[in-house]
Amino acid sequence: MVSTRYTMTRTSETMSNEREQRLAQTFVALSDTLVDDFDVLDFLCLLAERSAELLDVTAAGVILSDQRGGWHPTAASSEDAQLLELFTAQTREGPFLECLRSGAPVAIPDLSAESERWPHFTETALAAGFHAAYAVPMRLRRESIGALTLLNTEAVGVDETSTQLGQALADVATVGLLHQRSVQRNEVLHEQLQATLHHRTVIEQAKGVLAEHGGLTMQQAFELLRGYARTNGQHLSHIACSLADGTINPADLLAHHAFVGLQRQE
Amino acid sequence: MTDERRQQLEAQLVADTTTDGGSPAPRIKALCALATSELAVSGTGATVLSEFDDDGQSPRRGLIHATNAISSGLEDLQLTVGEGPCLDTFSTGGPVLIAELQQASERWPAFTPAALDLGAVAVFSFPLQIGVVRLGSLDLYRDTDGSLSDAQLSDALIVADLMTQAVIAELEGHSTDDVSWLANPHAQIHQASGMVQVQLQTTTEAALLHLRAHAYSHELSITEVARRVVARELRFPAET
Repeated sequence: MVSTRYTMTRTSETMSNEREQRLAQTFVALSDTLVDDFDVLDFLCLLAERSAELLDVTAAGVILSDQRGGWHPTAASSEDAQLLELFTAQTREGPFLECLRSGAPVAIPDLSAESERWPHFTETALAAGFHAAYAVPMRLRRESIGALTLLNTEAVGVDETSTQLGQALADVATVGLLHQRSVQRNEVLHEQLQATLHHRTVIEQAKGVLAEHGGLTMQQAFELLRGYARTNGQHLSHIACSLADGTINPADLLAHHAFVGLQRQE
Repeated sequence: MTDERRQQLEAQLVADTTTDGGSPAPRIKALCALATSELAVSGTGATVLSEFDDDGQSPRRGLIHATNAISSGLEDLQLTVGEGPCLDTFSTGGPVLIAELQQASERWPAFTPAALDLGAVAVFSFPLQIGVVRLGSLDLYRDTDGSLSDAQLSDALIVADLMTQAVIAELEGHSTDDVSWLANPHAQIHQASGMVQVQLQTTTEAALLHLRAHAYSHELSITEVARRVVARELRFPAET
Protein backbone atom coordinates (compact mmCIF):
# COMPACT_ATOMS: atom_id res chain seq x y z
CA MET A 1 0.00 0.00 0.00
CA VAL A 2 2.58 2.43 1.13
CA SER A 3 4.77 1.75 -1.81
CA THR A 4 1.84 2.10 -4.27
CA ARG A 5 0.88 5.47 -2.83
CA TYR A 6 4.45 6.58 -3.04
CA THR A 7 4.64 5.57 -6.70
CA MET A 8 1.40 7.36 -7.58
CA THR A 9 2.48 10.59 -5.95
CA ARG A 10 5.78 10.40 -7.62
CA THR A 11 4.20 9.75 -11.04
CA SER A 12 1.91 12.71 -10.67
CA GLU A 13 4.81 14.94 -9.64
CA THR A 14 6.90 13.72 -12.51
CA MET A 15 4.08 14.42 -14.94
CA SER A 16 3.63 17.89 -13.61
CA ASN A 17 7.37 18.52 -13.83
CA GLU A 18 7.43 17.20 -17.35
CA ARG A 19 4.62 19.52 -18.34
CA GLU A 20 6.32 22.50 -16.76
CA GLN A 21 9.49 21.59 -18.55
CA ARG A 22 7.68 21.31 -21.88
CA LEU A 23 5.94 24.60 -21.17
CA ALA A 24 9.23 26.33 -20.51
CA GLN A 25 10.76 24.77 -23.63
CA THR A 26 7.80 25.89 -25.71
CA PHE A 27 8.04 29.49 -24.63
CA VAL A 28 11.78 29.48 -25.20
CA ALA A 29 11.25 28.03 -28.69
CA LEU A 30 8.50 30.54 -29.49
CA SER A 31 10.42 33.54 -28.24
CA ASP A 32 13.48 32.33 -30.17
CA THR A 33 11.29 32.53 -33.26
CA LEU A 34 10.05 36.03 -32.43
CA VAL A 35 13.22 37.73 -33.61
CA ASP A 36 13.25 40.96 -35.60
CA ASP A 37 12.56 39.33 -38.90
CA PHE A 38 10.57 36.14 -38.60
CA ASP A 39 8.18 34.11 -40.66
CA VAL A 40 4.64 34.35 -39.34
CA LEU A 41 3.48 31.06 -40.85
CA ASP A 42 6.44 29.12 -39.54
CA PHE A 43 5.72 30.62 -36.13
CA LEU A 44 2.03 29.68 -36.26
CA CYS A 45 2.87 26.11 -37.33
CA LEU A 46 5.29 25.77 -34.41
CA LEU A 47 2.65 27.18 -32.10
CA ALA A 48 0.05 24.69 -33.36
CA GLU A 49 2.45 21.77 -32.86
CA ARG A 50 3.43 22.84 -29.36
CA SER A 51 -0.19 23.56 -28.41
CA ALA A 52 -1.19 20.01 -29.30
CA GLU A 53 1.67 18.64 -27.17
CA LEU A 54 1.17 20.89 -24.17
CA LEU A 55 -2.59 20.60 -24.03
CA ASP A 56 -2.44 16.82 -24.54
CA VAL A 57 -4.69 16.86 -27.59
CA THR A 58 -4.28 15.02 -30.89
CA ALA A 59 -4.23 18.01 -33.22
CA ALA A 60 -4.26 21.79 -33.18
CA GLY A 61 -4.89 24.42 -35.81
CA VAL A 62 -5.02 28.18 -36.25
CA ILE A 63 -7.98 29.53 -38.23
CA LEU A 64 -7.92 33.20 -39.21
CA SER A 65 -10.46 35.75 -40.41
CA ASP A 66 -10.34 36.64 -44.11
CA GLN A 67 -11.95 39.97 -43.17
CA ARG A 68 -14.67 39.46 -45.72
CA GLY A 69 -16.79 37.45 -43.29
CA GLY A 70 -15.04 34.13 -44.01
CA TRP A 71 -12.40 32.05 -42.24
CA HIS A 72 -9.20 30.32 -43.41
CA PRO A 73 -7.34 27.44 -41.76
CA THR A 74 -3.82 28.86 -41.74
CA ALA A 75 -1.56 26.61 -39.68
CA ALA A 76 -1.89 23.13 -38.24
CA SER A 77 0.07 20.72 -36.07
CA SER A 78 0.06 18.35 -39.05
CA GLU A 79 -0.57 18.95 -42.74
CA ASP A 80 -2.51 15.71 -43.04
CA ALA A 81 -5.14 16.23 -45.76
CA GLN A 82 -8.01 14.80 -43.71
CA LEU A 83 -7.13 17.02 -40.77
CA LEU A 84 -6.99 20.13 -42.95
CA GLU A 85 -10.38 19.23 -44.37
CA LEU A 86 -11.72 19.02 -40.85
CA PHE A 87 -10.41 22.49 -40.03
CA THR A 88 -12.08 23.72 -43.20
CA ALA A 89 -15.35 22.07 -42.12
CA GLN A 90 -15.05 24.07 -38.88
CA THR A 91 -15.26 27.32 -40.83
CA ARG A 92 -18.87 26.45 -41.67
CA GLU A 93 -20.19 25.06 -38.37
CA GLY A 94 -19.05 23.79 -35.00
CA PRO A 95 -17.24 24.94 -31.85
CA PHE A 96 -14.94 27.27 -33.80
CA LEU A 97 -17.80 29.52 -35.01
CA GLU A 98 -19.47 29.24 -31.62
CA CYS A 99 -16.27 30.49 -30.00
CA LEU A 100 -16.06 33.45 -32.36
CA ARG A 101 -19.66 34.39 -31.71
CA SER A 102 -19.27 34.34 -27.96
CA GLY A 103 -15.66 35.51 -27.82
CA ALA A 104 -15.06 32.85 -25.15
CA PRO A 105 -13.44 29.41 -25.19
CA VAL A 106 -15.73 26.53 -26.16
CA ALA A 107 -15.14 22.93 -25.10
CA ILE A 108 -17.09 20.04 -26.58
CA PRO A 109 -15.91 16.95 -24.67
CA ASP A 110 -18.20 14.58 -26.55
CA LEU A 111 -18.90 15.41 -30.19
CA SER A 112 -21.32 12.53 -30.69
CA ALA A 113 -23.78 14.40 -28.46
CA GLU A 114 -23.78 17.38 -30.85
CA SER A 115 -24.82 15.71 -34.09
CA GLU A 116 -28.13 17.56 -34.21
CA ARG A 117 -26.58 20.97 -33.66
CA TRP A 118 -23.66 20.43 -36.08
CA PRO A 119 -24.52 17.47 -38.32
CA HIS A 120 -21.82 18.04 -40.96
CA PHE A 121 -18.94 18.87 -38.65
CA THR A 122 -19.62 16.07 -36.16
CA GLU A 123 -19.94 13.54 -38.96
CA THR A 124 -16.64 14.61 -40.54
CA ALA A 125 -14.86 14.73 -37.18
CA LEU A 126 -16.16 11.37 -35.96
CA ALA A 127 -15.33 9.76 -39.30
CA ALA A 128 -11.75 11.03 -38.88
CA GLY A 129 -11.61 9.50 -35.40
CA PHE A 130 -12.00 12.70 -33.34
CA HIS A 131 -14.36 12.72 -30.37
CA ALA A 132 -13.71 16.04 -28.67
CA ALA A 133 -13.15 19.58 -29.98
CA TYR A 134 -12.17 22.85 -28.37
CA ALA A 135 -11.73 26.40 -29.60
CA VAL A 136 -9.99 29.35 -27.93
CA PRO A 137 -10.50 32.84 -29.37
CA MET A 138 -7.64 34.95 -30.71
CA ARG A 139 -8.69 38.42 -29.71
CA LEU A 140 -7.24 41.85 -30.24
CA ARG A 141 -9.06 44.56 -28.35
CA ARG A 142 -12.71 43.84 -29.14
CA GLU A 143 -12.05 42.05 -32.41
CA SER A 144 -11.96 38.27 -32.82
CA ILE A 145 -9.40 37.65 -35.53
CA GLY A 146 -9.53 33.87 -35.38
CA ALA A 147 -9.15 30.97 -32.99
CA LEU A 148 -6.83 28.25 -31.86
CA THR A 149 -8.79 25.04 -32.42
CA LEU A 150 -7.99 21.70 -30.84
CA LEU A 151 -9.14 18.18 -31.61
CA ASN A 152 -8.89 15.05 -29.54
CA THR A 153 -9.39 11.40 -30.39
CA GLU A 154 -10.49 10.82 -26.79
CA ALA A 155 -13.82 12.15 -25.54
CA VAL A 156 -12.50 14.18 -22.61
CA GLY A 157 -13.06 17.66 -21.22
CA VAL A 158 -10.41 20.20 -20.28
CA ASP A 159 -9.40 21.33 -16.81
CA GLU A 160 -9.01 24.91 -15.67
CA THR A 161 -5.21 24.90 -16.07
CA SER A 162 -5.44 23.71 -19.66
CA THR A 163 -8.08 26.33 -20.46
CA GLN A 164 -5.83 29.09 -19.15
CA LEU A 165 -2.83 27.67 -20.93
CA GLY A 166 -4.87 27.42 -24.15
CA GLN A 167 -5.83 31.09 -23.87
CA ALA A 168 -2.20 32.05 -23.23
CA LEU A 169 -1.14 30.18 -26.37
CA ALA A 170 -3.91 31.83 -28.43
CA ASP A 171 -2.74 35.23 -27.15
CA VAL A 172 0.84 34.41 -28.16
CA ALA A 173 -0.46 33.49 -31.63
CA THR A 174 -2.14 36.91 -31.88
CA VAL A 175 1.03 38.69 -30.84
CA GLY A 176 3.04 36.68 -33.37
CA LEU A 177 0.60 37.53 -36.12
CA LEU A 178 1.05 41.22 -35.46
CA HIS A 179 4.74 40.72 -36.14
CA GLN A 180 7.29 42.98 -34.61
CA ARG A 181 5.63 46.10 -35.90
CA SER A 182 3.84 48.75 -33.93
CA VAL A 183 0.37 47.76 -32.79
CA GLN A 184 -0.52 51.43 -32.47
CA ARG A 185 -1.82 51.50 -36.00
CA ASN A 186 -4.99 49.47 -36.29
CA GLU A 187 -4.16 48.97 -39.97
CA VAL A 188 -1.20 46.74 -39.12
CA LEU A 189 -3.51 43.94 -38.05
CA HIS A 190 -5.42 44.10 -41.33
CA GLU A 191 -2.27 44.25 -43.42
CA GLN A 192 -0.69 41.38 -41.54
CA LEU A 193 -3.74 39.11 -41.59
CA GLN A 194 -4.08 39.39 -45.36
CA ALA A 195 -0.35 38.95 -45.92
CA THR A 196 -0.42 35.76 -43.84
CA LEU A 197 -3.34 34.35 -45.85
CA HIS A 198 -1.47 35.25 -49.05
CA HIS A 199 1.63 33.38 -47.88
CA ARG A 200 -0.51 30.38 -47.03
CA THR A 201 -1.69 30.29 -50.67
CA VAL A 202 1.91 30.50 -51.88
CA ILE A 203 2.80 27.56 -49.63
CA GLU A 204 -0.02 25.49 -51.15
CA GLN A 205 1.33 26.26 -54.64
CA ALA A 206 4.86 25.31 -53.56
CA LYS A 207 3.58 22.09 -51.99
CA GLY A 208 2.05 21.22 -55.37
CA VAL A 209 5.35 21.88 -57.17
CA LEU A 210 7.32 19.71 -54.75
CA ALA A 211 4.70 16.96 -54.56
CA GLU A 212 4.61 16.65 -58.34
CA HIS A 213 8.35 16.87 -58.83
CA GLY A 214 9.26 14.45 -56.07
CA GLY A 215 6.23 12.16 -56.14
CA LEU A 216 5.41 13.16 -52.55
CA THR A 217 2.20 13.55 -50.60
CA MET A 218 1.20 17.13 -49.73
CA GLN A 219 2.21 16.52 -46.12
CA GLN A 220 5.64 15.22 -47.12
CA ALA A 221 6.04 18.19 -49.43
CA PHE A 222 5.26 20.57 -46.57
CA GLU A 223 7.68 18.85 -44.21
CA LEU A 224 10.43 19.00 -46.80
CA LEU A 225 9.72 22.68 -47.45
CA ARG A 226 9.82 23.49 -43.76
CA GLY A 227 12.86 21.34 -43.04
CA TYR A 228 14.77 22.94 -45.88
CA ALA A 229 13.85 26.45 -44.75
CA ARG A 230 14.99 25.69 -41.19
CA THR A 231 18.24 24.00 -42.18
CA ASN A 232 19.14 26.94 -44.36
CA GLY A 233 17.95 29.61 -41.96
CA GLN A 234 15.49 30.98 -44.48
CA HIS A 235 11.86 31.99 -44.29
CA LEU A 236 9.35 29.27 -45.08
CA SER A 237 7.35 31.80 -47.12
CA HIS A 238 10.41 32.92 -49.10
CA ILE A 239 11.39 29.37 -50.00
CA ALA A 240 7.80 28.61 -50.99
CA CYS A 241 7.67 31.72 -53.16
CA SER A 242 10.99 30.94 -54.88
CA LEU A 243 9.80 27.41 -55.60
CA ALA A 244 6.45 28.46 -57.01
CA ASP A 245 7.86 31.26 -59.18
CA GLY A 246 10.68 29.05 -60.47
CA THR A 247 13.58 30.97 -58.90
CA ILE A 248 14.77 27.76 -57.27
CA ASN A 249 14.57 24.32 -58.78
CA PRO A 250 12.55 21.73 -56.84
CA ALA A 251 15.28 19.19 -57.69
CA ASP A 252 17.74 21.24 -55.58
CA LEU A 253 15.46 20.97 -52.58
CA LEU A 254 14.89 17.27 -53.06
CA ALA A 255 18.60 16.61 -53.53
CA HIS A 256 19.82 18.92 -50.80
CA HIS A 257 17.59 17.68 -48.08
CA ALA A 258 18.02 14.20 -46.71
CA PHE A 259 14.41 13.69 -45.85
CA VAL A 260 14.52 10.88 -43.35
CA GLY A 261 11.26 9.04 -43.08
CA LEU A 262 9.82 10.53 -46.25
CA GLN A 263 9.00 7.75 -48.63
CA ARG A 264 8.53 8.28 -52.29
CA GLN A 265 5.10 7.40 -53.50
CA GLU A 266 4.84 4.82 -56.18
CA MET B 1 -22.27 37.08 -44.75
CA THR B 2 -19.36 37.20 -47.21
CA ASP B 3 -21.44 35.77 -50.01
CA GLU B 4 -24.32 38.07 -49.28
CA ARG B 5 -22.24 41.22 -49.53
CA ARG B 6 -20.37 39.87 -52.54
CA GLN B 7 -23.65 39.24 -54.31
CA GLN B 8 -24.94 42.70 -53.41
CA LEU B 9 -21.84 44.33 -54.85
CA GLU B 10 -21.94 42.14 -57.95
CA ALA B 11 -25.62 42.95 -58.51
CA GLN B 12 -24.79 46.62 -58.36
CA LEU B 13 -22.00 46.03 -60.83
CA VAL B 14 -24.32 44.30 -63.28
CA ALA B 15 -26.74 47.21 -63.01
CA ASP B 16 -23.88 49.63 -63.72
CA THR B 17 -22.53 47.75 -66.73
CA THR B 18 -25.67 46.69 -68.59
CA THR B 19 -24.58 48.65 -71.64
CA ASP B 20 -21.31 46.81 -72.29
CA GLY B 21 -22.45 43.21 -71.88
CA GLY B 22 -20.14 42.58 -68.92
CA SER B 23 -16.93 42.17 -70.92
CA PRO B 24 -13.80 42.24 -68.77
CA ALA B 25 -12.06 45.58 -69.38
CA PRO B 26 -15.21 47.66 -68.85
CA ARG B 27 -15.83 45.48 -65.82
CA ILE B 28 -12.58 46.66 -64.28
CA LYS B 29 -13.61 50.25 -64.94
CA ALA B 30 -17.02 49.58 -63.42
CA LEU B 31 -15.34 48.05 -60.35
CA CYS B 32 -13.24 51.21 -59.93
CA ALA B 33 -16.42 53.28 -60.02
CA LEU B 34 -18.10 50.92 -57.57
CA ALA B 35 -15.14 51.12 -55.18
CA THR B 36 -15.22 54.91 -55.30
CA SER B 37 -18.90 55.11 -54.39
CA GLU B 38 -19.07 52.24 -51.89
CA LEU B 39 -15.87 52.97 -49.97
CA ALA B 40 -16.32 56.71 -49.72
CA VAL B 41 -12.94 57.40 -51.30
CA SER B 42 -12.03 60.31 -53.57
CA GLY B 43 -10.69 58.20 -56.41
CA THR B 44 -9.78 54.68 -57.48
CA GLY B 45 -7.15 53.34 -59.83
CA ALA B 46 -6.29 49.84 -61.00
CA THR B 47 -2.92 48.88 -62.35
CA VAL B 48 -2.97 45.58 -64.15
CA LEU B 49 0.04 43.44 -64.97
CA SER B 50 -1.11 41.69 -68.07
CA GLU B 51 -0.06 39.96 -71.26
CA PHE B 52 2.05 37.25 -69.74
CA ASP B 53 4.32 35.49 -72.18
CA ASP B 54 3.83 31.76 -72.29
CA ASP B 55 6.76 31.40 -69.93
CA GLY B 56 5.41 34.17 -67.73
CA GLN B 57 8.47 36.38 -68.18
CA SER B 58 8.38 40.11 -67.62
CA PRO B 59 4.72 41.00 -67.61
CA ARG B 60 3.84 44.33 -69.13
CA ARG B 61 2.65 46.82 -66.62
CA GLY B 62 -0.03 49.22 -67.66
CA LEU B 63 -2.72 51.40 -66.22
CA ILE B 64 -6.15 50.03 -66.97
CA HIS B 65 -8.34 52.63 -65.42
CA ALA B 66 -8.55 55.51 -62.97
CA THR B 67 -11.69 57.31 -61.95
CA ASN B 68 -10.05 60.74 -62.00
CA ALA B 69 -6.84 62.59 -62.85
CA ILE B 70 -5.43 62.37 -59.33
CA SER B 71 -5.81 58.58 -59.28
CA SER B 72 -4.12 58.20 -62.63
CA GLY B 73 -1.44 60.65 -61.48
CA LEU B 74 -0.79 58.48 -58.41
CA GLU B 75 -0.43 55.36 -60.57
CA ASP B 76 2.01 57.13 -62.91
CA LEU B 77 3.94 58.55 -60.00
CA GLN B 78 4.67 55.11 -58.53
CA LEU B 79 5.98 53.90 -61.86
CA THR B 80 8.17 56.98 -62.18
CA VAL B 81 9.70 56.99 -58.70
CA GLY B 82 9.64 53.21 -58.29
CA GLU B 83 8.11 53.22 -54.82
CA GLY B 84 4.71 53.58 -53.20
CA PRO B 85 1.82 51.62 -51.69
CA CYS B 86 0.90 49.71 -54.84
CA LEU B 87 4.45 48.41 -55.29
CA ASP B 88 4.66 47.58 -51.57
CA THR B 89 1.55 45.38 -51.72
CA PHE B 90 3.58 42.99 -53.83
CA SER B 91 6.48 42.75 -51.43
CA THR B 92 4.30 42.34 -48.34
CA GLY B 93 1.59 40.23 -49.98
CA GLY B 94 -1.11 42.10 -48.09
CA PRO B 95 -2.81 45.48 -48.44
CA VAL B 96 -1.00 48.71 -47.59
CA LEU B 97 -3.26 50.99 -45.58
CA ILE B 98 -2.07 54.53 -44.93
CA ALA B 99 -4.63 56.68 -43.13
CA GLU B 100 -2.25 59.67 -42.99
CA LEU B 101 0.08 59.86 -45.93
CA GLN B 102 2.02 62.67 -44.28
CA GLN B 103 3.38 60.15 -41.77
CA ALA B 104 4.85 58.03 -44.58
CA SER B 105 7.61 60.33 -45.81
CA GLU B 106 10.30 58.12 -44.34
CA ARG B 107 8.84 55.02 -45.96
CA TRP B 108 8.52 56.61 -49.41
CA PRO B 109 10.71 59.74 -49.54
CA ALA B 110 10.01 60.36 -53.23
CA PHE B 111 6.41 59.19 -53.52
CA THR B 112 5.00 60.88 -50.40
CA PRO B 113 5.64 64.58 -51.11
CA ALA B 114 4.63 64.23 -54.74
CA ALA B 115 1.44 62.34 -53.85
CA LEU B 116 0.54 64.98 -51.26
CA ASP B 117 1.09 67.63 -53.94
CA LEU B 118 -1.32 65.77 -56.20
CA GLY B 119 -3.94 65.97 -53.44
CA ALA B 120 -3.86 62.52 -51.82
CA VAL B 121 -4.09 62.57 -48.01
CA ALA B 122 -4.78 58.89 -47.36
CA VAL B 123 -3.92 55.94 -49.64
CA PHE B 124 -5.02 52.30 -49.58
CA SER B 125 -3.62 49.66 -51.94
CA PHE B 126 -4.82 46.07 -52.34
CA PRO B 127 -2.88 43.45 -54.29
CA LEU B 128 -4.66 41.54 -57.07
CA GLN B 129 -2.99 38.18 -56.71
CA ILE B 130 -3.44 34.44 -56.31
CA GLY B 131 -0.35 33.33 -54.41
CA VAL B 132 2.67 33.96 -56.65
CA VAL B 133 0.38 34.93 -59.52
CA ARG B 134 0.56 38.71 -59.47
CA LEU B 135 -2.08 40.39 -61.56
CA GLY B 136 -2.08 43.99 -60.43
CA SER B 137 -3.32 46.26 -57.68
CA LEU B 138 -6.39 48.18 -56.64
CA ASP B 139 -5.42 51.63 -55.40
CA LEU B 140 -7.69 54.00 -53.50
CA TYR B 141 -7.04 57.50 -52.25
CA ARG B 142 -8.84 60.06 -50.10
CA ASP B 143 -8.40 63.82 -49.98
CA THR B 144 -9.00 63.69 -46.22
CA ASP B 145 -7.20 61.62 -43.60
CA GLY B 146 -8.68 58.65 -41.78
CA SER B 147 -8.84 54.85 -41.84
CA LEU B 148 -11.21 52.68 -43.80
CA SER B 149 -13.93 51.37 -41.50
CA ASP B 150 -14.08 47.60 -40.96
CA ALA B 151 -17.04 47.39 -43.35
CA GLN B 152 -15.18 49.44 -45.97
CA LEU B 153 -12.08 47.30 -45.61
CA SER B 154 -14.19 44.20 -46.09
CA ASP B 155 -15.84 45.74 -49.19
CA ALA B 156 -12.45 46.72 -50.58
CA LEU B 157 -11.21 43.13 -50.22
CA ILE B 158 -14.33 41.86 -52.01
CA VAL B 159 -13.88 44.41 -54.80
CA ALA B 160 -10.24 43.30 -55.11
CA ASP B 161 -11.45 39.67 -55.42
CA LEU B 162 -13.94 40.66 -58.13
CA MET B 163 -11.24 42.61 -59.93
CA THR B 164 -8.83 39.65 -59.74
CA GLN B 165 -11.59 37.56 -61.30
CA ALA B 166 -12.09 40.15 -64.06
CA VAL B 167 -8.36 40.26 -64.85
CA ILE B 168 -8.18 36.46 -65.08
CA ALA B 169 -11.20 36.48 -67.38
CA GLU B 170 -9.49 39.10 -69.52
CA LEU B 171 -6.35 36.94 -69.78
CA GLU B 172 -8.49 34.00 -70.86
CA GLY B 173 -10.53 36.00 -73.29
CA HIS B 174 -13.89 34.65 -72.24
CA SER B 175 -16.54 36.14 -70.05
CA THR B 176 -16.30 36.08 -66.28
CA ASP B 177 -17.57 33.07 -64.45
CA ASP B 178 -17.91 32.31 -60.78
CA VAL B 179 -14.60 32.81 -59.05
CA SER B 180 -16.00 32.85 -55.54
CA TRP B 181 -13.46 30.07 -54.78
CA LEU B 182 -10.86 32.83 -54.64
CA ALA B 183 -12.13 33.88 -51.24
CA ASN B 184 -12.75 30.37 -49.95
CA PRO B 185 -10.24 28.08 -48.33
CA HIS B 186 -9.80 25.72 -51.26
CA ALA B 187 -6.18 24.75 -50.80
CA GLN B 188 -6.43 22.07 -53.50
CA ILE B 189 -6.75 24.60 -56.32
CA HIS B 190 -3.41 26.09 -55.35
CA GLN B 191 -1.81 22.69 -54.84
CA ALA B 192 -3.10 21.60 -58.25
CA SER B 193 -1.70 24.76 -59.88
CA GLY B 194 1.72 23.88 -58.47
CA MET B 195 1.46 20.30 -59.74
CA VAL B 196 0.30 21.31 -63.21
CA GLN B 197 3.06 23.89 -63.60
CA VAL B 198 5.58 21.07 -63.16
CA GLN B 199 3.65 18.76 -65.51
CA LEU B 200 3.57 21.41 -68.24
CA GLN B 201 6.94 22.96 -67.39
CA THR B 202 5.32 26.35 -67.16
CA THR B 203 4.43 29.06 -64.64
CA THR B 204 1.83 29.06 -61.87
CA GLU B 205 -0.31 31.59 -63.78
CA ALA B 206 -0.28 29.50 -66.95
CA ALA B 207 -1.08 26.38 -64.90
CA LEU B 208 -4.01 28.12 -63.27
CA LEU B 209 -5.33 29.17 -66.68
CA HIS B 210 -4.97 25.57 -67.93
CA LEU B 211 -6.93 24.30 -64.93
CA ARG B 212 -9.66 26.83 -65.58
CA ALA B 213 -9.75 26.14 -69.30
CA HIS B 214 -10.10 22.41 -68.59
CA ALA B 215 -12.93 23.08 -66.14
CA TYR B 216 -14.60 25.38 -68.64
CA SER B 217 -14.41 23.04 -71.62
CA HIS B 218 -15.45 19.95 -69.63
CA GLU B 219 -18.19 21.75 -67.74
CA LEU B 220 -16.64 20.87 -64.41
CA SER B 221 -16.06 23.11 -61.42
CA ILE B 222 -12.46 24.15 -60.95
CA THR B 223 -12.56 22.61 -57.46
CA GLU B 224 -13.42 19.24 -59.01
CA VAL B 225 -10.64 19.55 -61.60
CA ALA B 226 -8.22 20.44 -58.79
CA ARG B 227 -9.38 17.48 -56.69
CA ARG B 228 -8.66 15.12 -59.61
CA VAL B 229 -5.20 16.58 -60.16
CA VAL B 230 -4.26 16.31 -56.47
CA ALA B 231 -5.68 12.75 -56.34
CA ARG B 232 -3.46 12.04 -59.37
CA GLU B 233 -6.44 11.02 -61.46
CA LEU B 234 -5.81 13.77 -63.99
CA ARG B 235 -2.55 14.93 -65.53
CA PHE B 236 -1.76 17.75 -67.94
CA PRO B 237 -1.61 17.96 -70.87
CA ALA B 238 -5.02 16.37 -70.41
CA GLU B 239 -6.40 14.10 -73.11
CA THR B 240 -9.41 15.71 -74.70
